[in-house]
Amino acid sequence: MNVLARAIVIAAALFAVQALVVAAIAAIRRTANIYALIIVVACATAPLVFAAGPSIVGEPLSTQGRAFLALMHLSLGGFLFHFMTLPDRSVTLRIFVELLLAPGRTLTLEALGSRYGVRTMVGSRLDQLEQGQFLSIRPDGRMTLLPRGHRFGRFVTAGRRLFNIKSAN
Amino acid sequence: MTRLLLPLAAIVVFFLLSLITVRVARPRDPKRFFLAYALLLLAGTAVAYLAIWPLDTIDDALGLVSALLVQLLACLTMWNAFYSLLWGFSGSMMFDLFTDPSLLDRERLIRSYVGDGPVDRILARRLPNLERGGWVAIEHQTLRLRPKGTVMAVGTLAAFKLFSLGMGGGVK
Repeated sequence: MNVLARAIVIAAALFAVQALVVAAIAAIRRTANIYALIIVVACATAPLVFAAGPSIVGEPLSTQGRAFLALMHLSLGGFLFHFMTLPDRSVTLRIFVELLLAPGRTLTLEALGSRYGVRTMVGSRLDQLEQGQFLSIRPDGRMTLLPRGHRFGRFVTAGRRLFNIKSAN
Repeated sequence: MTRLLLPLAAIVVFFLLSLITVRVARPRDPKRFFLAYALLLLAGTAVAYLAIWPLDTIDDALGLVSALLVQLLACLTMWNAFYSLLWGFSGSMMFDLFTDPSLLDRERLIRSYVGDGPVDRILARRLPNLERGGWVAIEHQTLRLRPKGTVMAVGTLAAFKLFSLGMGGGVK
């Protein structure tokens, strides 16, 4: 096998191991934030990959080679992070799953709304924004943007102006 | 580590090309341009790297793969930031709350999403694209999963289980 093919196989193996470690910890700590978990696993294991570089590759490596291997490992953690946003946050994929689990893989719009409706989506997202300290919600439902929420709002507003985005959700 | 200057330069070019495209050309579907730029720049980095540092040792190969991965990750992050933050659900909600203080009320905000039409604001934007893309069929207010959508649904369900994500969809 040539050196490039070997490097690609090593990258695939590092990605698979990282994903399995994250899956195993997520199974044990079910309340853990999956994104924080991915970052912790990638950062905590990168020095191990650097140290064990020659064993992973199966031949001696220069310090630069070990650093490339550790960088590759960290990058793969980044890809896992991005990948996770798809099943975890995508509204479209959740709709697909609701349809898959429905009898005959068919749902009326009303039935879809009762399983995964806009009230649930908005309510849950507001709760997450509150937990993230972007806003606070009083018991009567009145909301206040916190400093982090103001920064996020300013960023999104400026970004939308910059990219001429007129409508989105 | 000077080898990482190549992906760094490509990342800057990707950002500038994307910015110019969206600001000046204003395409209806910018992601096609982002994809083309990302792939062309990846090819460019690979060709330039191989010309300067031929793959003689495993260190050279690891350098090439890590450079390409870092570059692709940065492009994907910019792409994702563009779509998720600026077009996504949380970003849109924060935009609404920031620009329209009358929506700083839970019920009023929910009502703004429910709307007055037959489908809510969230589904209204997605359903036509899903039908056009062949993911679902819509007849008489009823959605049916098509084979292409079934493949995605099975993969998503597997990810839910493997990573203990509950039912995903941004709902905790």
